[in-house]
Amino acid sequence: MSANFVERWFSQVSERTGVAPRRAAIYGLVFLGVSLLIFALFATSSQAGQVTTFVLNPSGETEAFPVPSLAFPTSAALYLFVLVCAFVGGWQLARGFKRINLVLGGILALFVLAFLAWAARDNSLNLTGLLGSALLRAVPIALAGLSGVLCERSGVVNIAIEGIMLTGAFFSALMGSLAANIWGWSLWPSLVFGLAGGLLAGALLGLLLAVLSVRFKIDQIIAGTAINILSMGITSFLSARILTEFQRLNNPGIFPRFSVPGLASIPIIGPIFFEQNLLVYALFVLLFVIHIMLFYTRWGLRTRAVGEHPRAADTLGIDVYKNRYINVMLGGMMAGLGGAFLILGSVGRFDEMMTAGKGFIGLAAMVFGKWMPFGTFGAALIFGFADALQTKLAILEVPIPSQFLLMAPYIVTMVILAGVVGEAKPPAADGQPYEKQ
Amino acid sequence: MRKWYLSFATLMIVVVLLAACAPAAEEPTEEPAEPFMVGQVTDVGGIDDKSFNATAWSGMEAAAQELGVEVAYLESQQQTDYAVNLQQFVDEGYNMVVTVGFLITDDTLAFAQQYPEVYFAGIDQYYGEEVPANLMGLGFNTDEAAFMAGYLAAGMTQTGVVGTFGGIEIPPVTIFMVAYAAGVDYYNAQHGTDVQVLGLDLFVGNFESTDDGRRAAEDLIAEGADIIMPVAGPVGLGTAAAIAENPGTMLIGVDTDWCISAEEYCSVTLTSVMKRMDNTVPLAIEMAMNGTFEGGYLNGTLDNEGVSLAPFHEFDDDISDELKAELDTIREGIIAGTIDTGW
Repeated sequence: MSANFVERWFSQVSERTGVAPRRAAIYGLVFLGVSLLIFALFATSSQAGQVTTFVLNPSGETEAFPVPSLAFPTSAALYLFVLVCAFVGGWQLARGFKRINLVLGGILALFVLAFLAWAARDNSLNLTGLLGSALLRAVPIALAGLSGVLCERSGVVNIAIEGIMLTGAFFSALMGSLAANIWGWSLWPSLVFGLAGGLLAGALLGLLLAVLSVRFKIDQIIAGTAINILSMGITSFLSARILTEFQRLNNPGIFPRFSVPGLASIPIIGPIFFEQNLLVYALFVLLFVIHIMLFYTRWGLRTRAVGEHPRAADTLGIDVYKNRYINVMLGGMMAGLGGAFLILGSVGRFDEMMTAGKGFIGLAAMVFGKWMPFGTFGAALIFGFADALQTKLAILEVPIPSQFLLMAPYIVTMVILAGVVGEAKPPAADGQPYEKQ
Repeated sequence: MRKWYLSFATLMIVVVLLAACAPAAEEPTEEPAEPFMVGQVTDVGGIDDKSFNATAWSGMEAAAQELGVEVAYLESQQQTDYAVNLQQFVDEGYNMVVTVGFLITDDTLAFAQQYPEVYFAGIDQYYGEEVPANLMGLGFNTDEAAFMAGYLAAGMTQTGVVGTFGGIEIPPVTIFMVAYAAGVDYYNAQHGTDVQVLGLDLFVGNFESTDDGRRAAEDLIAEGADIIMPVAGPVGLGTAAAIAENPGTMLIGVDTDWCISAEEYCSVTLTSVMKRMDNTVPLAIEMAMNGTFEGGYLNGTLDNEGVSLAPFHEFDDDISDELKAELDTIREGIIAGTIDTGW
């Protein structure tokens, strides 16, 4: 077989599927490689008679219909996965798939499933818990990413998300506690007041970023970094001075979970998506709202115009500055909401530096999701899943050092960024201050 | 800007005045000889941090009561204050200075080398093999108390599964986890039970993100754990939030008594593995006063009560008398060296 033949073969595959010949060949080999990996790493090291159990009921109280746990012989399942992957790889090389990214996603999911089945051999693993954990880990990252989407779509790079989240978290804790423990408000009003505090703090820091980068045209990376440093300093100082001395000011309470009637009783899906607290539902709603606003309203069109070509937008009579001010403030509120989620939707108290890089990961999710709201959410879910998976694997005592497991989310990012997403294109005027003529 | 400096300067003057005034007021009359003066330099957490600094200070106050020394403290607002505060105590003729926290390690060592006539003690500090004769590092054999916590957890679990996780995989963290697991194993061996420990390989990768602490706890609970010991500083407070929302689950605190340092979670805190500098600090001061002070390390153990299990507070009635008696036996066994903590 000459190289010529291979070339002709894949150009035929390419014609049939619309996937570039080189890409088609590489993907085929990747699928075969995954098949081989599952065989070598997992299938050979699992013995006959070992049984993997995937628990499908969530732990704790739930309204979902109970479903029986999924127990299956480990090695039989693994060999099945090997065969499926090999078949898909062979098909890809011989005939080719049209929706190649979907197939790749499926193969990667199979690999993860094989890994889990192998790790939980002679053991059990709560699959619903894993997915629910992935979603909850994704929420603050997605909110941070949405903040980035709003800012960067209008052409302002917001690297201050981390700091804004931290400040939002601090003020939601402080305001919520003030209302609940000093003024004696009941649970819901004080939580909402705390939420408002986080949103307001986010909006104000957004305004600061806007003033610095739009009005004074300071380099946006520098301005954002300055806000990050400012936020870390201020919240650490105030928390040491106020919150540790008056613990009543650091106990705002947590939004209780509530089930969406009907939907919550669906097994597996129900407890993951429909037995959450208000802030998680808020994220779902915001995803739709922001998507619709960006792509189906006048404001969205203007925002994208300002982000792509502010001069053209200006010539058409759009107030570039005003648009950027509004967007950056909205973005700030989104980051503030992310901070508020960490307090009012998760841990119920503020501690120094508690965002621990989630804002920056949110920025990565935004790039990864190509500056689209749902793309960002999807990326956040992948980060969250990698994180949750890492935890499960550690609990199952997979013989991999903790440092490597902790790297998993970032390796996943790099692989997917480089391999699947392809070139991510920011708005053309992203990061450039606009000078009116 | 000027106003800031002015108010800051005023504040510093007030602090200095207070620090200088306090000892003078209670000067004992029957001791014409110069009193033994001990100063404490806090880390940036401040004296009221309800944690290390506060515990060390209560040790200082105990020493003032029992040994008749004069004590004072200086708070560090930032890391550059460490040397300034140390210098101030030395300049005022203090006989001994206690510094709190591993961040002050370098400054404490430098001052000990520069002022050989002053005693220094540093909590959670390690200076290497060669230690000046006037310097003592106060460490903790936390494994001894963590072993007891593991035994208690194994005796209290309803699901037969207990959990733990760490911040970062470093010895000061893993010492808790390893001894905790050893305690559970010891219980299994004694009672023929099969209590499992989950999360010995689980590290969240930081000491800040309380959200990660909550998620880790939820994952452990989903796999059946009902008692969790988070060894990750404040990250464990996120764990506490998850525990509080899951009826039937319990928390084991570390470093301080969480029933006091995080009182909102007292109702779910089974016990805490405590580092008791309030006991080791007076020991070090006593050594300095009667001349038995040696350069090196003084480790808190169950024996000198430098580490211990916290009181059971709200769970006191739930823990059977047999289990309490067994814990006492184990404590004696560890002190006598007949029980291996696994570390």
